Amino acid sequence: MMRALLSWMRGNPAAGLSLVFLTALFTLALMAPVIAPYSPTAQDANNTLSDPSLAHLLGTDDLGRDELSRLIHGAPATLYASVLAVTVASILGIPVGLLAGFLGGWVDDAISRVIDTLLSFPAIVLAIGVTGALGIGLTNGMIAVGIVFSPQLARLVRAQTLVVKQELYVDAARCFGASVWRIIPRHIMPNAIQPVIVQVTLLLAVALLAEASLSFLGLGVQPPQPSWGAMLARAYNYMEIAPGQMYPPGIAILLTALAFNTLGEALREALDPTSRRRNMPSMTGIK
Amino acid sequence: MRIPIGIDRRAFLALLAAGGAMSTEVRAAPRKGGILRVAAPTNPTTLDPATGSGGSDHVFLYTMFDTLVAFDYATLEPRPGLALSWSYADPLTLVLTLRPGVVFHDGTPCDAEAVKFNLDRNREDPRSNVKPDLATVTSVEVSGPLQVTMKLNQPDTALPLILSDRAGMMSSPTAVKALGKDHDRKPVGAGPWKLVSWEDNEKITVTRHEKYWDPERPYLDGIELTIIQEVNTGLRSVIAGQNDFVYFLSPQQKAVIDRAKNLISVAGPTLYCVQLYINFGRKPMDDVRVRQALNFAIDREEFNKATMAGLSEPATLSLPKSHWAYDPEMAKAYPYDPDKARKLLAEAGYPNGLDLNIAVYSDQRSLQRLEVVIEQLRKVGIRATSFAGTIPQQTNAFFVEKKGDVYLSAWTGRPDPSLTYQLMFGGGSFYNASRIEAVPEIGPALLETRRSEDLSSRKKAFAKLQKIVTENALVAPLVFQFEMDAHTQKVKGYQPNLLGKCKFEFVWLEA
Amino acid sequence: MNNKGQMIGRRLLQIAPVIVLATFVVFGLLQLVPGDIAVTLAGENATDARIVQIRQTYGLDQPFLVQYGHWLWNAAHLDLSRSYLSNEPVLDQILHRFPTTLLIVAVALLISLIIGVPLGIVAATRPGSRLDTVVTSFASLGVALPNFWLAMILVATFALTWNIFPATGAVAFGKDPAKALLHAALPAFALAAGGIAEVARQLRSALIEILSSQYVRTLHAKGLSPTAILWKHGLKNVSVTLLTVVGLLINRLLGATVVVEAVFAIPGMGSLIVHAAIHKDFPVVQGVVLAMVVVVICMNLLIDMLYAILDPRVGRT
Repeated sequence: MMRALLSWMRGNPAAGLSLVFLTALFTLALMAPVIAPYSPTAQDANNTLSDPSLAHLLGTDDLGRDELSRLIHGAPATLYASVLAVTVASILGIPVGLLAGFLGGWVDDAISRVIDTLLSFPAIVLAIGVTGALGIGLTNGMIAVGIVFSPQLARLVRAQTLVVKQELYVDAARCFGASVWRIIPRHIMPNAIQPVIVQVTLLLAVALLAEASLSFLGLGVQPPQPSWGAMLARAYNYMEIAPGQMYPPGIAILLTALAFNTLGEALREALDPTSRRRNMPSMTGIK
Repeated sequence: MRIPIGIDRRAFLALLAAGGAMSTEVRAAPRKGGILRVAAPTNPTTLDPATGSGGSDHVFLYTMFDTLVAFDYATLEPRPGLALSWSYADPLTLVLTLRPGVVFHDGTPCDAEAVKFNLDRNREDPRSNVKPDLATVTSVEVSGPLQVTMKLNQPDTALPLILSDRAGMMSSPTAVKALGKDHDRKPVGAGPWKLVSWEDNEKITVTRHEKYWDPERPYLDGIELTIIQEVNTGLRSVIAGQNDFVYFLSPQQKAVIDRAKNLISVAGPTLYCVQLYINFGRKPMDDVRVRQALNFAIDREEFNKATMAGLSEPATLSLPKSHWAYDPEMAKAYPYDPDKARKLLAEAGYPNGLDLNIAVYSDQRSLQRLEVVIEQLRKVGIRATSFAGTIPQQTNAFFVEKKGDVYLSAWTGRPDPSLTYQLMFGGGSFYNASRIEAVPEIGPALLETRRSEDLSSRKKAFAKLQKIVTENALVAPLVFQFEMDAHTQKVKGYQPNLLGKCKFEFVWLEA
Repeated sequence: MNNKGQMIGRRLLQIAPVIVLATFVVFGLLQLVPGDIAVTLAGENATDARIVQIRQTYGLDQPFLVQYGHWLWNAAHLDLSRSYLSNEPVLDQILHRFPTTLLIVAVALLISLIIGVPLGIVAATRPGSRLDTVVTSFASLGVALPNFWLAMILVATFALTWNIFPATGAVAFGKDPAKALLHAALPAFALAAGGIAEVARQLRSALIEILSSQYVRTLHAKGLSPTAILWKHGLKNVSVTLLTVVGLLINRLLGATVVVEAVFAIPGMGSLIVHAAIHKDFPVVQGVVLAMVVVVICMNLLIDMLYAILDPRVGRT
């Protein structure tokens, strides 16, 4: 297993690098208090907006807090948000897609209409609306993002299910009178799961950017909890006197989104060799 | 206390050359004409002085409405406005003598009938938001073509200055009757400019009132107030030349203004007090020791440094040093003393610290203040959480729905200080979340401040009242924010005022 | 042609339920609000009578479906109700602001195509080359780039340091087209980064697929020059891919502009919905979401029709 992974990584260095980066990031997020050199809220009014130095590798922010420590402590919120949105999308999208694809007929028609409708919503716009309704906060916004993403997964799973349904062994199972609730988890799920894994990885990147956007607009994470998007919002206020402030959080967002994307693309190639050329749109409503 | 930081150097040299004759005539005479482009941080709630509610609406309202009583920019003492003079015939009767020849934008004369109409509307209209300001007035009579007599139910020497605020802004009775609710958006006043258009959250345009009572003014042909919510972006718009004037900046932005060599910064003290409102009606803040601990836990110098670039006045009382009613007796009551704070918390039954929920506005400047407060409170064992929202939402949440223990917000100040104390600490007052009188002495002390016309005896009454407020730690003042504005070189004649709400009545533009 | 007509007719019929469903989702937003909006709307110092009055004015005392029916009926008559905050008709606000946003989106789309298409073609004609690697790497970066961050960098560089472009605001296209484009340039570029990347990526993979097909190989064997093959067969066939990408981009750009507008303080749809959402001004939130969805749905319809014209196979299925 390990050896297979290593050889795959050697064959696709970009994906390997992404995997290493993401693993490191998750470790960082989990162990933030141990790793971060300072407390993310420790302030120093005499040393604000300072340039990088040995004491503060990425400098300090408007309240004299260590940028690096805030970046590290911001990782959990950012990753939590992405995972939350994608989890919500999976919980809603996968079963719906399975049902539509498997049952067909009017159920499929109805679900497909709903999917079409939801896909027409620019995700971030709907997320802003939902946040406005439920109140400012990260969880509300990301659940909304998850809901907007769910039709993408539903559509994908539906298509996969339609393909698998035609397979002989499923027909056979049906003839023997196996129930829907048995066939779906036993036969259809395992075969439809691979493209879902790919899509989920790609969605993580989009969710990450959505979180950053919401926090930038002040609709996400609340202080004192740091988050990358909120750090950018603050940096925006000091653009004239400390333009350097916007780079650390921006680059962190960029690299993480890039890593999710690269990994997703690599998984797609690894799991489905024929897709290399097709490379269907991985696009979603958000960025 | 005026600090025009960017003194016009050439004008200054001209002054010296003129032998130090410190008269404004030496500077170039105000030129008539031009449109002032202003970056404004807020959209007004309404443009009808009686129905609006925002403390930041005044900058817009002042352009279109004159007040019965004006105030001295530096001291906030009352000055003649639409009323040339006023006097108390007896403690329960206030007589106003009006300025002749004033007309509203629609040509309606601003006479005693019009003033009575406005004051009655302010007192009785169901949509009026200034009813509490005029609560002591029982009737308004027209006692001459230009004379109005107000009858009071108790001595109230705060009224003249109250009439320099919303309650004294006169709207055209003709327009109010004709437009009804629409007057909120199409106001007709007697101020130097009249409304051209209000594009929501975008722009408010006003143009010269040709029949303004002062034939010399206004100097400006008009003003375009572009609404840019983020003050940083607003300042950016002036630096880049899209606007001429931006106000309500943070003192922290002084560094940015100074870097842009074409800008002049203006700063001055204001009544605007950044503070923590306290709901002292319920646990845990009903315990005076907890409230005192909160006050001892705040390092105000540090707060000023971190959030105001050290350019504001640390606050322990509800009035700034330059105010006529300021009394230094209680100013040193709460030095920064974390040990004392911890001790008080332990005595109050919280040896392991205390959880507090803080309401706060959602803009970046407020969040920055919140972060400083949370960190300072953490050091004495107070674990603070927060919830953010817009100003109306949070005000409603804290004062109506009673959410949160503490509200990091601000008191924008009132022309007469008695209102400041009445509204925040009076029983049943809106800005007193508990709605109760924290201690029974507070009611009589409040009444005492409005009994005399003499400033020195009023000052004594305010000192007594402040002592009760401070000893019971009914609020935790943080800093009095200095007004910080920036404008281009060609903007002349702007002066800040202690109220901290910009007035453009004497501003002119260099050709 | 008849088939195509039928197909278009069918599509038109199909979007009706989609739009109705969209309105339901949009209106449902209001139901998520915890507590009583009327209390918030009444503002400071409100009396109970005022709250009741507000509830009646906005029909908040009615059951959900009645409110929805009422709103839908009005919306069908182009009345999107009035803003809670300003009492202005929501439709007026949207009509006032949408042009600004649409200009930015249109310019961004144009930039995406003008830069993205040549990049995609160049990369596809030399797959595996160094140029291809550069293009695909840039495309990967572009997709992962937070565009509001790019917007900040552009403001800091081109507006604040070099003073080439205005840092804030917008000008109506009808008033002064040159100035309007100058204001729209930076936000459009910030938006276009992702668009360029997506166009280049999709075009590249579609072209590679076509160019490596049996059919093209045959043409090649017949001695047709690679350029001729590319222009005559490759590009004609990828037009469908391009249309798909454009359709998805419109949805995405409309969403992304919301955040980018905040960076530039542009009075467009983005600032309108953010302000309205924070202030719980639901008629405006609903109006903006609805307007955006309707635009997306209509653009998708337009694109479907173009498919039918471009691709002879579509009409038959």
